[in-house]
Amino acid sequence: MDPPQVTEADIAKYRGMVGAPLVAPTLLEPDTLRRFVHAIMDGDALYHDVAKAKSSKFGALAAPPLYPVHAFRRAPDGADPLEMLHADPDADGSGGSDGMFFGLPPIETAFKRLLNGGNEIEFYRNLAVGERCVARARYANVNLKQGKSGTMLLVDVETEFRTEAGELLLINRQTLIWR
Amino acid sequence: MSVPKLCIDDVTIGQKLGTIDKGVMTTSHIMRWSAAVENWHRIHYDHPFATGHDKLPNVLINGSWKQHVLVQLVKDSLGPDGWLWKIKFRYKKMDVAGDTIRGAAEVVAKETVDGLGFVTLRVALTDQNGAVSTAGYAIGVLPTRGGPPVPYPFVRKSEYDAIRLPADD
Repeated sequence: MDPPQVTEADIAKYRGMVGAPLVAPTLLEPDTLRRFVHAIMDGDALYHDVAKAKSSKFGALAAPPLYPVHAFRRAPDGADPLEMLHADPDADGSGGSDGMFFGLPPIETAFKRLLNGGNEIEFYRNLAVGERCVARARYANVNLKQGKSGTMLLVDVETEFRTEAGELLLINRQTLIWR
Repeated sequence: MSVPKLCIDDVTIGQKLGTIDKGVMTTSHIMRWSAAVENWHRIHYDHPFATGHDKLPNVLINGSWKQHVLVQLVKDSLGPDGWLWKIKFRYKKMDVAGDTIRGAAEVVAKETVDGLGFVTLRVALTDQNGAVSTAGYAIGVLPTRGGPPVPYPFVRKSEYDAIRLPADD
């Protein structure tokens, strides 16, 4: 099969594009935090002991540093991603929800294979119980590159996560590679 | 004022600052993560789909979960008076159900800027055979002995601009 033909003209429109702010459908709730820290198997008392958390630098129960990237789950009235399994038994179940674009229009490309090229993250503050997370993403770099196995599309998605009050939580720079 | 548990003065180049162990990771552990973050991709819990449709050796441990193991490793290595400021990592290989995950953080550089200590750590996750699945670097902030506490929320300053994560190995 011939490799896909992708040109600079196909990708230029994405470069520097900024997505609309994406608002988490819910506040961080104590039970959500409980299930989350169970899943990452982090028994840190600051995630469940209210008295300890209040006397710590966080001043309240707060989520693990990287929690905000998982705060954007299906809204109560959101489409059911598992519906697709009725129409297509081979569907992967993701419903196109990949947790990478955070409000940006996904890159449309003829490349078929998508790889995670790595992350670089800066942390400033943890999301506290009762707070809501807002993400704003931009395509920081969108470039074609010649590799040993042919042309690749390299995309850096830079996403800032803030509280609704605008306080910076973290910045996540994720490199995506299409081949 | 309480005495910090770990200061930049206590840290030496080459020091193993911390380790973390998770596992054996079973399909149930992976499913618990997928449910917690509502990631319904079938490669993480549907064995016939993962092995038959996607030709994987078993259901896949989520890369997103491994990110949190690295963050927990650095957070706990720095202790309650430190702050994980930056981390970068790349995935080197997949991990699947039945694997054990061990993380380790080693000091590769340290410096003091504007009264705060900055420690650079090489971080990695390995499986039960010692194969590296995820690798990168982190920069943690620690107090200096007798110096001010690390501010929370952490605040970027122009004085810190020269403190950068190393290039990938």
